[in-house]
Amino acid sequence: MNFWDKMLNIDRRWIFLAIGVVTIIPFLIGIGMPITTTTEVEDIFDFVNELGPENAIFVAFDFAPGTQAECMPMAVGVVRHAFHNDVPVFMTAYFPLSHGMMMAGFDYVTNPSIDGYYQVVEFAEWAHLREAGITTKAELVTEWENEGNVLPENAANWVFEGRDYALLGYAPLFHLVILGMTSSIANQYPEDANGNALIEMPMLNEHKSLREVDLALTTAGSSACMSWITYAREKIGTPIAFGVTAVMATDYYPYIQSGQIIGQMGGLRGAAEYEVLMVENDVTESTGKAFRGMDVQSADHLLIILLIIMGNIAYFAGGAHKRHQMKGRG
Amino acid sequence: MKRTVPLMIVMVGGILMMIQYFIPHQYSQVVFDNYTEWAPIVGAFALLLGVGSLTRVHSHRIKRKAPNWPYSWAVLIPLFGMPFLALIWPESLWGGSDSPSVFHFLFMNIQVPIQSTMFSLLAFYIASAAFRAFRAKSALATVLLLSAVIVMLAQVPIGEIFGPWLQNTGLWILRYPNLAAKRAIMLGVGFGILATNLKIIFGVERNWLGGAGE
Repeated sequence: MNFWDKMLNIDRRWIFLAIGVVTIIPFLIGIGMPITTTTEVEDIFDFVNELGPENAIFVAFDFAPGTQAECMPMAVGVVRHAFHNDVPVFMTAYFPLSHGMMMAGFDYVTNPSIDGYYQVVEFAEWAHLREAGITTKAELVTEWENEGNVLPENAANWVFEGRDYALLGYAPLFHLVILGMTSSIANQYPEDANGNALIEMPMLNEHKSLREVDLALTTAGSSACMSWITYAREKIGTPIAFGVTAVMATDYYPYIQSGQIIGQMGGLRGAAEYEVLMVENDVTESTGKAFRGMDVQSADHLLIILLIIMGNIAYFAGGAHKRHQMKGRG
Repeated sequence: MKRTVPLMIVMVGGILMMIQYFIPHQYSQVVFDNYTEWAPIVGAFALLLGVGSLTRVHSHRIKRKAPNWPYSWAVLIPLFGMPFLALIWPESLWGGSDSPSVFHFLFMNIQVPIQSTMFSLLAFYIASAAFRAFRAKSALATVLLLSAVIVMLAQVPIGEIFGPWLQNTGLWILRYPNLAAKRAIMLGVGFGILATNLKIIFGVERNWLGGAGE
């Protein structure tokens, strides 16, 4: 066995070790390589950026924990962007496991330990204001603060449950739930995940069905995202945006060209682009996990390309290709 | 009877919903609203059926001490333990309602790390497979290999050190050749789904009935 054959038959544990090292080091160092944005992501950002309190969006957490590294930063980025612009957000989950992802994503945006978080005011806490007929965001904030409530220093703003967000969560046969929501959201979700009656929520009274919603962003690690095209976009014309894993992203380019989706965030790169756009447009002060993860992905991609080149050099220089051809003839 | 009734339900339901889609009338909307309210409820019962079936299969495995039977406990304990924690003991680990519930704690600290770890392992296997299998053995394989290398580099920030041409070429591959191929595949799959659906609705395709009534 010559050198090239030894190289071709290298113990794969060395490759695993190399990937492990190359993954961990950029995480520890934090290089922060610059990222340029693409039109696929810019279109989503611009769409959300033009919305205001009179609009509403759906953010669908249609992924399981396995793909959260890619999908979670996309969903969190758009929820944060919507909260910044006071756009009401309905949050849903396609699978039972994605319900947990929805709660985790919401927690990430509203966790006081993270600077720039959104301070939650639960539905019951501001019942007296609702009963007094105060339901617009600007009035709510003024009245709430007049009552002596002070926004913590590291918080970006208040978010009122039922005014700024509704955690709808998981419901069985979700594709039919989407279909049903084209007629009525409250029929499909009489209560939200916290047990609050949807019909009492100001944001629902202004947006009773998907027809009155301005955008549905589905963040998915499977073809679940297609249900939004089939049952919402094609039936009633709801604008749809995709946030999908990198391996899936190639599948959905036809939908961008046909105009069935307004844009797509593909993998961690897409999420990182959204974070960059948020910083450039003063939505957030700093980039997040996706941007940091791109350093790791850069190093990993580079290593895999090096491995491919080395594998090919060893294959051709060692004469393995000739043996392979002869074996084929035999 | 076991076959005729389900076939009739599928045929009537399928044709009704097909026609309904094209009729923008009040009665048509009533049919649609009723369907979308009932279907998830029926789906929830299917979930119960699934839980019952899973319990039966694994309890039999435990009783018979079938090969690897202890793993059946690993299915059954969380299957009933997690709903128990969610419904019967919804309080937090420390008693209050501010910190996460036991259910949420277990989900975030067992389920999430397990699934994330399994998915992360892909990176290691992809690297190993790329080294061993990605060879420029023919002209077509070389095109595939070069496209993959360009797209992989174009997707990451480090690719920008080679200049804007790399990212533009990567995006061009995704937006044109990739798109054309995907569209062709999707159209083929779409027509296939349409044909299969029509065969199911009109009772030509009956595999979904299983062995019932035979």
